[in-house]
Amino acid sequence: MAVDNLTLRVPAGEIYGLLGHNGAGKSTAIGMMLGQVWPTSGEVKICGHDVTARRRQALQKVGAIFESPAFYDYLSGRRNLEILTSYTAATPPARVREVIEWVGLSGREDSKVRTYSHGMRARLALAQALLPHPELLILDEPSDGLDPEGIHEMRQTILRLHRDLGLTILLSSHLLNEVEQLCTRIAVLNQGRMVFEGTMASTKQRERWVRLKVGDFPSAVSLLRGAQLIKGSREGRLISLDEGVSTDRIVKLLVEHSQPVYEIASEEETLEDFYLGLMNGQREVK
Amino acid sequence: MFYLHFRNELWKLFGKKRTYIGFGAFLVVQTGMLLMFRFGHVRADMERVLAGNGYLAEEYISALTVAVIMLIPQVALLMPLYATLVGGDMVAKEAEEGTLRMILSRPISRFRLLLMKWLTGIVFATLLVLVLGGTALCLARIWFPWKGMFVSWPGIGFNVLSVGTGFSLYLWSLTFMAVNASVAVGLAFMFSCFNMKPAAATILALSVLFVSIVMENIPFFESYKEWFPTYHFNTWIRIYSQPTPWDAVGQALCILLAMNLTTFLVGAAAFQARDIKS
Repeated sequence: MAVDNLTLRVPAGEIYGLLGHNGAGKSTAIGMMLGQVWPTSGEVKICGHDVTARRRQALQKVGAIFESPAFYDYLSGRRNLEILTSYTAATPPARVREVIEWVGLSGREDSKVRTYSHGMRARLALAQALLPHPELLILDEPSDGLDPEGIHEMRQTILRLHRDLGLTILLSSHLLNEVEQLCTRIAVLNQGRMVFEGTMASTKQRERWVRLKVGDFPSAVSLLRGAQLIKGSREGRLISLDEGVSTDRIVKLLVEHSQPVYEIASEEETLEDFYLGLMNGQREVK
Repeated sequence: MFYLHFRNELWKLFGKKRTYIGFGAFLVVQTGMLLMFRFGHVRADMERVLAGNGYLAEEYISALTVAVIMLIPQVALLMPLYATLVGGDMVAKEAEEGTLRMILSRPISRFRLLLMKWLTGIVFATLLVLVLGGTALCLARIWFPWKGMFVSWPGIGFNVLSVGTGFSLYLWSLTFMAVNASVAVGLAFMFSCFNMKPAAATILALSVLFVSIVMENIPFFESYKEWFPTYHFNTWIRIYSQPTPWDAVGQALCILLAMNLTTFLVGAAAFQARDIKS
């Protein structure tokens, strides 16, 4: 089963990250949101409208970009936009021009899409998603296949869309770095099930990790555990402090037991740490 | 919106160079056949047949006669091949390339999208036949006079027609050819609505037509031949039979139109039920 018992709510105005490894069910979940994949049970509502029963109303204010966006390569960029946007509503030429300018494709809109670079195709994909004045933008692996400059440009554009146009953005990605930089809220999927849902800030507050450099790390950990100052350790260099414990108590205890302390500093947990911890936890549960 | 969506499909189909390859192929084959007819032994054979039936060859070996003769192998072989190629591409190619997913992220129903594509297929089939029939007649007219015609074919016998009747039946036969081409497009279109590659849809459609031709011609199935679609495909030439059997022609037309509608509905049902994934 690609997606199992998934309940997801994307609040308006957020950049919501859908995170998970390949095959975790992200694209299937997006397919269900867009009425491309039929759920065996449950319902999907966008802006209050059921996607299955009221597809037209539900998708009226939605723009979507998929990994490796596909176009009619033998037609011009402008014609592609005219075709794709007409499935939502008739769009005046002035609006098409405005969006072409916004994404930075002016001057190339009448060239055949087959002559476009990967970055230009990504911009065209963005243009087609923006044409119907969306309120919700669904981005499925938007940076897939882009070079570092293209990835950077895409990120800046997403932030600009959120800031300037106030769009709600649902971003599916397996690039942790990207999600960390962009999203305000995330859901993590693993084998079709949601294993975490919360704000980005909450992913960093779950555990306080401290980097500790001592002469003998295993015996230091054993000592700190015995004194009930830490909850755990990892990677031979990090310790997780117990509630209410400060680093000075750690240093004091170690020095009292003749353990030389070379370095102690708090380590902010990255999304990668959080994600890997979550996945390892999932494996252990099994 | 109907106009916009229909226009989109026409842009997509006629924007591809591949769409025109078939037209070019028909023109080349027609030219080759015309040269063979003009300089080969076919003409002499026909003159013998006409003389044997008491007709003056120069009165009936006309542009219309030659155009119909040129059309026979093309309608039997090239047209189904080309029609199924285009029909097989219509949905499956878009699904394969990913543009279908882009379209279906928009608020358009799958049925409406399919209907537009199917109508475009019908337009294409009609245009193909018009070009085919038009070029055949124009090319034949280069060397042959505008006079009465004769048509001889198994099942319809030997028929001699005046220029007026001949031309009017020629136009009717083009109408039937368009229906045949639409059925071939529709059959491949139906298969392309399932989750398969475009080439598979084309091959399946051609296989259905091939099996139909083979079974229709097996003596065991003689009394069942009206159940095979390709039997009704031959109506375009049966129309030249004198007097024209309009009741049988009407029946064949109804059967082919019903078949076309059925394949569309089967395709639409399959397309509606399937998941569209990358």
